[in-house]
Amino acid sequence: MNHFLTLVVNGLSLGCLDALIALGFVIVFKATRVVNFAYGSLLLLGAYVIGRAHAALGFAAAVLLALVVTAAVAALIGVVLLRRLRQADPGALAIVTLGVDIVLATDLTRRIGTDLLTTGDPWGAEVVALGGIQVPQTRVAAAVVAVVLVAGFLAVVKFTDWGIGLRASAERPATATLMGIRLRRVAASAWVLAGGLAAIAGLFFTAFPSPGITGGVGQAALGAAVPAAVLGGLDSTTGALIGGMAVGFTATFAAGYQDQLAFLGRGFGAVAPYVVMLLVLLVRPAGLFGSKEITRV
Amino acid sequence: MSHHVGAAASTMQIGVRPVDPPLLRVRDLDVSYARAVRALRGVSLEVPHGAVVAVLGGNGAGKSTLLRAISGTLPFAGGAIDGGSVELDGRRLDRMDPAAVVRAGVVQVPEGRQVFGELTVEENLRAGGLAVARRARGPARDRVYELFPVLAERAGQRAGLLSGGEQQLLAIGRALMAAPRVLLLDEPSLGLAPRMVERIGAVIAEIHRQGTAVLLVEQNAALALDLADVAYVLEVGRVALHGPAARLAATDEVRDRYLGVGVAADHSTPDHTQETDKPELVVEGISVRFGGVAALSDVSLSVAPGSVHALIGPNGAGKSTCLNVLTGVYRARAGSARYGGVELTGLRPHRIARLGVGRTFQNLALSATATVADNLLLGRHRMTRAGFVAAGLRTPGARREQSEQDGRVREIAELLELSGALDRPVAALPYGDRKRVELARALCAEPTLLLLDEPVAGMTADESARLAGIIARVRAELGISILLVEHDMTFVMGIADRVTVLDFGKRIACGTPAEVQRDPEVVRAYLGAAR
Repeated sequence: MNHFLTLVVNGLSLGCLDALIALGFVIVFKATRVVNFAYGSLLLLGAYVIGRAHAALGFAAAVLLALVVTAAVAALIGVVLLRRLRQADPGALAIVTLGVDIVLATDLTRRIGTDLLTTGDPWGAEVVALGGIQVPQTRVAAAVVAVVLVAGFLAVVKFTDWGIGLRASAERPATATLMGIRLRRVAASAWVLAGGLAAIAGLFFTAFPSPGITGGVGQAALGAAVPAAVLGGLDSTTGALIGGMAVGFTATFAAGYQDQLAFLGRGFGAVAPYVVMLLVLLVRPAGLFGSKEITRV
Repeated sequence: MSHHVGAAASTMQIGVRPVDPPLLRVRDLDVSYARAVRALRGVSLEVPHGAVVAVLGGNGAGKSTLLRAISGTLPFAGGAIDGGSVELDGRRLDRMDPAAVVRAGVVQVPEGRQVFGELTVEENLRAGGLAVARRARGPARDRVYELFPVLAERAGQRAGLLSGGEQQLLAIGRALMAAPRVLLLDEPSLGLAPRMVERIGAVIAEIHRQGTAVLLVEQNAALALDLADVAYVLEVGRVALHGPAARLAATDEVRDRYLGVGVAADHSTPDHTQETDKPELVVEGISVRFGGVAALSDVSLSVAPGSVHALIGPNGAGKSTCLNVLTGVYRARAGSARYGGVELTGLRPHRIARLGVGRTFQNLALSATATVADNLLLGRHRMTRAGFVAAGLRTPGARREQSEQDGRVREIAELLELSGALDRPVAALPYGDRKRVELARALCAEPTLLLLDEPVAGMTADESARLAGIIARVRAELGISILLVEHDMTFVMGIADRVTVLDFGKRIACGTPAEVQRDPEVVRAYLGAAR
C-alpha cells in the first residue's frame, strides 16, 4: 500500500512536469500547425545554459538567462520558418524542425563533452517525507512551479486578448485574418512562450533525481512531450495538461511495478506512455481534447 | 460587353450628390491565382457613402475574389493583384495587410459564417474587436447586443452550438465590433431558412440605416436586388452589367441569367429517354439535417434511364447535399434512394461507386502534377485486375490489360475533346479543360449513372456551350443517365430533359425545363416577389 501511495505521489509530480513539457509543444502546434521536433533541443539548451552559468551568476540569474536565450532561439527558429509559413505545408516545416533539432542537439552534446553539468538548484538531492512517502524536493518544486505556470497559462489563454487571438487563429486562421489578427505575430509569440517554457522544463527535467545535463536529455524530453501532447490532442492546452498527467502516471507505475510486468520485457516503463497513447488514439483519433479534422466534399 | 443601365440616375436616386467621391472605389482591378488563372479582369466598382451595393454572379464569376482583393486576403488563397487599385476615401488599400485594412474601416463577413465554434459568443465578439482601440469595444458590443438581443442571451454559450441563422447574426455582429465604415458581406443568406433570410435582410437594412455602407455579394438575387441601391453582375471575372438595382431586376438580361428564359430548348425528344437496360434512380422523401439546419426536407425525384435530370436552386438550396447523400458521403435522416432496386442510403461510398454511380466534384479533385492520361487511368482503377506484383513483373496479362486500358482512356479522351492534352500535366491546362478532365475521369469508371456537381461553374459562355454539346454526345453514345447540379440556367435549360427545383431544402417544382421556367414559385425563388 505504501508502495502504491509512493507511486501516486511520484506520478503526480512527474505528471506535472510532463504537462509543462507538453504545453510548450502544444502551444506552437496550436498557433502554427507545426509539430515542433526541435522542442527537445530547446529544453536541452535551457538546461545547458543553466548548467554553465549558475556557478558564475548564481542560480536565479542563470535561470533568467536561460529563459531569455531559449525564448530568443525559439523566436529565431519560428521567425525564420515563419517567413516560409504562408507557402510551405506544415508537414514540411515539421521536417525542418527535425533538422534544427539534430543540429542543436549535436552541437550542445559536443559542447557538454565529458563535463558533468548540474543545474545547481537550491533543492539539491534533499528528500521530503510526506506522511511516510519519500519525494525529492525538486519534484515538489517542479509540481508547484508547473501547477502555477500551467494554471496561469490556461487563464491567459482563456481571458486575455492574446488568448482569444490565439484560439481564434488556431480554429480559423483565414477568418482570424479578417478580424485584423496578425497570424505572424500570434505565431511568433507562441514560439517565444514555448522557448521560455522549455527553459523551465529543462531545469526540472535535469535536476535530481535525473542523472544531470547530458546530450540525451532532448530526446528523452521529446519522448515524454510527444505522447502527452498527442494523447491529449495536439492543439489543446487542456489536453496537454491531462496528457502530461497520464504520461507521468503511466511511466511511474510501469516502472514501479516492473517486477510484476516483467513478462512484457525490461524497460517497459519507457514504452508504456506510447501504448497508452495508441490505445487512446484507437478510440479518439484526434486525442482526448483535440479538434477533429472535418473535410467538406 | 458591359451594359450600363443608367448609373448616373442611380446616384441621384440614393440621394448622394454626383460630385461626392465614393467611399470605396475599385478601379480596373486585375487579379490572378498562381500567376496563371485570371480571376478578375478590369473590374471597376464604387460604393457610395452609406449605400448598399450588391454584386451578383454565378459560381466562379469572381465575387469572392473581389472581396479577397478588397480585404487584403488574396495572398492566403494564392492570389495577387496584377493591376488596378482599391481605395477607401482616397487611401490605397491594395498595398495594406488585412489587419491594416480592418483598421482602416473595411471589414469582411466571410462566406459560410465561419464563427469560432470553440469560443463563446462573447469571445467571438471580442475577437472581432481586437483590431480596434480597447475603449471603442464597449460601445461596439452594446450596439451589437442591441441589434441582436439573442446574442446577449447566449453570450456565455459556445458559438458552435448556435443555429445556422444565429451564427450568421454572430458573424455580422463580430464584424460590427470593428466599427466598419464599409461592411463586406459574402453570401449572408447561404443555407438559411426563408424566415432567417428575411431576418438577415432586415439586419442589413438596419445596418445601412445606421450609416454603414455595405458591399453585398449574393447568389440569392431576390434578396440582393431587394436590399441594394446599385448592383453589379460579374461574369467570368468581368462586370457584365451594372446599374440601379430596381432597374436591373426588371431587365431581360438578368432574367435570362437567372432563369435561362429564351433558350431554344432542343431536347425532350422522347427517344432520348428510350428504354434501356440501365436502372432507374428513385429518390423518395430524403431528409438531411446539419445541427439545427434542415439541409434537405422530404425531397423526391427520379432519373429515368438514359435521361438528363437537372437539380437547380439558389445557393444553399441543398443541391450538393443531395448529391452527397446519393454518393454515401452524408447519411440521410429519413427517406430512401434506390438505384435499380438497391438501396443507396447506408452504403459506403466505394460500394455505391461499384454499383455504377460516378460523380464529379464542384472543386476539382484531380492530381495536378500527373498527366491527363494518368488521371484518367486512375479513374479506371475499378476496371483493373492485375495486382502490383503482376504489373511490376510486366506479365503478359498485365501488359494486355495495360494496353486495353490505354485504348479505352484514349476513346474517352476523344469523346471529351481532350486527345491533344493526354500527355500534359493537369496543372498546365486552362480551367475549362480541367473541368472536362474531371468529367472524363468520372466516365473512365464506366458509370451507368453520372452525377455532375456544377460542371460549368466558372466557365465562359463559349466553354459552357461546348460542354453542353459534349454531354449530349456522351449521353447519346454511352446511353448513361445523368443527374446534374448547376447554377447556369442557360446551360441547364438547353440540356435537361427534366428539372427539379430546390429552395431551402424543399422541392418547389419539378417538370420539363419549359414548365419550370413558367412556374411562379421558381421565379419568386430566383428573383423575388413582385418582380
